[in-house]
Amino acid sequence: MDCRAALGLIEAKADGLLPREAETELAGHLAGCPACAAEDAAISATGPALRALTGIRAMEKRPALDAMWTRVRAGIEEGRAARRRPSWIARWAWIPVAAALAVLALLFYPAGTDRSPFHPSSFDVAVEDVESDVATVALVDKGEDLPRVIWIIEDAKT
Amino acid sequence: MPRRKAQARPVGPILPFLALLLLALLAAVPSEAADTVSVEVGAVYASNEGTSIDPALGTIRGKLRSMFNYTSYRMLDRKRRSLSVGETGEFELPGQRTMRATPLPSQGDKVRLSIQISEGPRKLLTTTLGLRRGGMVLVGGPSHQAGVLILIISAE
Repeated sequence: MDCRAALGLIEAKADGLLPREAETELAGHLAGCPACAAEDAAISATGPALRALTGIRAMEKRPALDAMWTRVRAGIEEGRAARRRPSWIARWAWIPVAAALAVLALLFYPAGTDRSPFHPSSFDVAVEDVESDVATVALVDKGEDLPRVIWIIEDAKT
Repeated sequence: MPRRKAQARPVGPILPFLALLLLALLAAVPSEAADTVSVEVGAVYASNEGTSIDPALGTIRGKLRSMFNYTSYRMLDRKRRSLSVGETGEFELPGQRTMRATPLPSQGDKVRLSIQISEGPRKLLTTTLGLRRGGMVLVGGPSHQAGVLILIISAE
């Protein structure tokens, strides 16, 4: 193995990507090459140093990150509460709508033939006058609990 | 938050206004109803063809059977008009007949109706009736098919 190939393996080792067989081969080269061994030692020391530096930076930024997360969480909660609480209009809008529908129902009560069966409340009828040009008319009264009847007897047809 | 309040503020006076408008409408409906008469006419075909009695006749089915000798009663048509005093409403009846009804001035819960039933140029009946609101009177006799017509006239 030459030093150039060894350098590639050293970098792979630092990244944790070096296969076990290649690691043995690299160890053999490093034992006989002080320059590559020094490079390996330097690169191997760099990883822990970077991790330590990142940790220190994170510790420094933690108060600012905590404050930002607090603000974000408060914003989320406020949005949820606003969605849960119906607006003033939505809560009371049904009252005028229901009243308007009731008025419309009263005004436009169906006048067709599909209404409920007859339920008269009174059969008390006064016949003030009755006449016919072409028929005989009889007034039939069979009592208070029965309707009065005006019966037309068509002279020409009977 | 201040922006939300600014949106809600103009809506505030609308609901009381709507409520007042609806109250005014509701108040107007009964006064109009008191000046008008709702006249309803049901045309019943009475015959001895079959023994069926139309359920639409309601509580007067039994009364029809006890008053007349027909075995079958069928509602052919039913019409209703809201008429002001002095206003004439025309009702088309089966067999090229028409009925004209005119509410006349009356007092209390009484209704006075001028009724005229015609068959073409022939005046079959001219009468003036006085009945209570919700009351009913029957006019029968005009021949129809194998039986007769019985008109159920009610006023509210």
